[in-house]
Amino acid sequence: MRAHLPGHNHGGMDSAPCRYRIRVNGHLGATLLSAFPVMVSQQQGAHTVLTGFLDRSALYGVLAEIEALGLDLLEVRQLAPE
Amino acid sequence: MPLTVPRLIDRGDLLAALDRGAAGKVTIVSAPAGSGKTSLLRAWADRAGRTARLAVVQVQRDQQDAQQFWLALLSAIRQASATAGRAESPAATPDFNGRAMVDTVLSELAGARSDTVLVIDDLHELNSPEALGQLTRLLANLPPNAHAMLATRHDLRLRLHRLRLAGELAEIRAADLRFTERETRELLASSGVTLSGPGTVLLHQRTEGWAAGLRLAAISLADHPDPERFVAEFSGSSRTVAEYLIAEMLERQPDEVQDLLLRTSLLDRVNGELADLLTGRSGSERILLQLEDANAFVVSLDPERTWFRYHHLFSDLLRLELRRALPGEVPALHRRAAAWFTQHGDVVEAIRHTQAAGDWADAARLLADYSLSLTLDGQTQTMHVLLRAFPHRADHPDLALVRATVDLVRGRLDEAAAHLAVAETHARTAPPERQRRLRVAIASLKLSLARRRGHLASVIEQVTFLASPVTGESGADIALDSDLRAVALMNLGSAEAWCLALPDAERHLREGAVLARRIGRPNLEVTCLAQLAFASKIHSFATTQQRCREAIALAERYGWGTEPVVAPALMTLSGTMVWLGEFDEGERWLRRTERALLTDAGPDIRLLLHQTAGILHAGRGRHPEALEEFGAAERLASQMEGSHALASQVTGWLLATQARLGAPGQARARLAALDDERASSGEIGNARAVICLAEGDPAGALRAVQGVVAGTAPVVGYVTLVESHLLAGLAHRELGDPRAANQATERALSLAEPDRLVLPFVMTGSRALLEALPRHETAHAALLAGILDVAHGSSLAATHPPVLPQAEELSPSELRVLRYLPTNLSRPEIAAELSVSVNTVNTHVRSIYAKLQASDRSSAVQRARELRLLSAGLTGRTAVTRSR
Repeated sequence: MRAHLPGHNHGGMDSAPCRYRIRVNGHLGATLLSAFPVMVSQQQGAHTVLTGFLDRSALYGVLAEIEALGLDLLEVRQLAPE
Repeated sequence: MPLTVPRLIDRGDLLAALDRGAAGKVTIVSAPAGSGKTSLLRAWADRAGRTARLAVVQVQRDQQDAQQFWLALLSAIRQASATAGRAESPAATPDFNGRAMVDTVLSELAGARSDTVLVIDDLHELNSPEALGQLTRLLANLPPNAHAMLATRHDLRLRLHRLRLAGELAEIRAADLRFTERETRELLASSGVTLSGPGTVLLHQRTEGWAAGLRLAAISLADHPDPERFVAEFSGSSRTVAEYLIAEMLERQPDEVQDLLLRTSLLDRVNGELADLLTGRSGSERILLQLEDANAFVVSLDPERTWFRYHHLFSDLLRLELRRALPGEVPALHRRAAAWFTQHGDVVEAIRHTQAAGDWADAARLLADYSLSLTLDGQTQTMHVLLRAFPHRADHPDLALVRATVDLVRGRLDEAAAHLAVAETHARTAPPERQRRLRVAIASLKLSLARRRGHLASVIEQVTFLASPVTGESGADIALDSDLRAVALMNLGSAEAWCLALPDAERHLREGAVLARRIGRPNLEVTCLAQLAFASKIHSFATTQQRCREAIALAERYGWGTEPVVAPALMTLSGTMVWLGEFDEGERWLRRTERALLTDAGPDIRLLLHQTAGILHAGRGRHPEALEEFGAAERLASQMEGSHALASQVTGWLLATQARLGAPGQARARLAALDDERASSGEIGNARAVICLAEGDPAGALRAVQGVVAGTAPVVGYVTLVESHLLAGLAHRELGDPRAANQATERALSLAEPDRLVLPFVMTGSRALLEALPRHETAHAALLAGILDVAHGSSLAATHPPVLPQAEELSPSELRVLRYLPTNLSRPEIAAELSVSVNTVNTHVRSIYAKLQASDRSSAVQRARELRLLSAGLTGRTAVTRSR
């Protein structure tokens, strides 16, 4: 499992939501996707990519959900503002 | 349903790894959901030939309540050590002391006759930093005969570096738990699945040896018409393993099983009755049993197999599916569950489901109505969690009462007061049937707040209505109202005790204790009894001590021997010991009181703590230390509202000690600053006498104690009067009037005789008075000898009693004779004192020598001192219990 949070904001409290891209292994069906209502999903090869605006605590909420559902987390990336 | 039952397969390497781990202190199994952690631990535990006792705890979902976690752990340990069903389950307390709890667990583990393996499963669910910190301490200090196995989904913030460095920490991780191809084959075979070699390899690859995936596949494969096709299709799908396999498994179940699994997935635990209620069908229990037998992620929680829970991963997926498939029914299902839990007395679950249904106002009302009961159950942390679950927009005035309760327990007094004010305003708008109940709850909280702040006098008149009963109608109402009433009586009685309204205090506390016992509230019963012991001062010291010991014994039975709840009894016992001159014993109890008050103490009880420490030092002649303690006590007294009766006693001793230390000028200056009411009290009169004596003005001292001796000055208790007579005696002596001095001393002795009071003689420095008293002029030769013993520094309790060989019990009449042996009275004189014949005394003396294995009078006295028989009360009761 590889997860990295590129921190351009070392030490500071990141209160504003950012766009995050979260990649998990396998294709998520409707049941699993319903656990991530604020994320947009996209299948890429054998992976599912979830994208959404999250603040810190929402991000950790999503990660906890991924853990609880036994999903295989491949990548977490903060995206540059568009 | 598949008919064959897949068994836990023998994973030899892993079991061996656990065996190796068990030789050290701690094993951690850390791997993601569904890796087979629980199954592995269960297989290891169930194996034959295991010699260690096993204590298993499953951490509840999102456990944020440290006390609930520790109680579950302690009760698992007790169950493991008890022969069938005899374990006393530990009871919750409103003032949970994590440190003491860890000590209790450690000592029970160390005291176990055999090795104990403590298994804690789902430890990642423990979301309490406090509990994790305490657990770290437990793990770092495990006794050699204990081992802990922890299963968790992710690494925890336990600080175990030292164990790791010492090689005492074993770890099993996801890679270790992955099934090998061989194990996959064995699992399928033991589940009755026939699958080709290539099919097995394919399945193993697709699931990556993930235990939950393999088990799910095995269930579907067991009665599949074409297992090879199943595996091929599964392998060709790119959906996640769990979602694919659960969908497959559900699809293959009959409709009623699917329906049951979906609808009951929103419960953390389920039984047949609840499942029937949520599905609207009967026969659910049979289905649950079959599912467990099929190893289909359903596990029974009790030996009778009435309660079940689902594997967390499984139920999380089912919950998602439920919300997708039957979104409109979810709130109604929660409501039905909430009603069932309310009916069955599980308020916390009821509130959780009411919240989940979105019925916030109902949830707020339930939480408010049960806030006192939940506090008594030791669930304040859970209440806090429930409070936080309310969204801001759903804030409800009912919650103010709950917030006040939680803040009060956490010692945030100002916040508690603010919330109480809101709750009070809100209660006025409540419907009449609730209003009365809310008023009682609010009044109880106010009293408890006032007690913590030392502001009792101002609230006590407002709340006397608490003594009248609350009347509920339904069974649940009566239970609720009994809790309320017991708490109200406890608070009222305690407040009265501290205001020295002792007869009222006794009545209310006794009633509270009886009610608490009847409704099964041990913590409340201990509180009432401990306060009752404190309120017993109007009775003899023997009665007071007996009540203290009763309260302490009950507290110890529940493991609260050093909790704040029993502190008033510990303190009172310590105080009586000091008054009776048993300084070592008094100090022992005082130390224990200090330990009990480490976590929480209001100004009132801390005042008493310093006061007792002060008289202990004074009794031992350590006046500078005594002065410091009295000073601390007085500072606390000045923070407390109103003129507290105990305050004049503290001030009196403080001034007297200053004078004895050679600073009568300072003392006199402070004396002049006192208001008239204080200055006219007997205690201050005595202080004035001490100051006069120090200034060389014995006539002034006589005038100072005149009011007390004549009975016109108000006093805290008769001990003040004993002091006054002694001070008068000292003044007469200075004035060259030995006759008057003797008379005053004899009066003090007569007053002190019933309780065998020693301290005032030592504190006032009356040794010379006693030594000058001709033996034929006193009717209290035995007491006098005892006091001189203490005054000579040979404390009555110089050695700790239990190290000595046990003596045979002395009869009450033998004890009466024994008390005269340290005097220089002859046997005929003793006979005269006791109004018995010389022969009788001779018989008793022979018997005393025999029982104490003494050869003569002085060795008998020595031995009696060691056994602390001389300090016993008149009845000899204490001596009898001690010599057992």
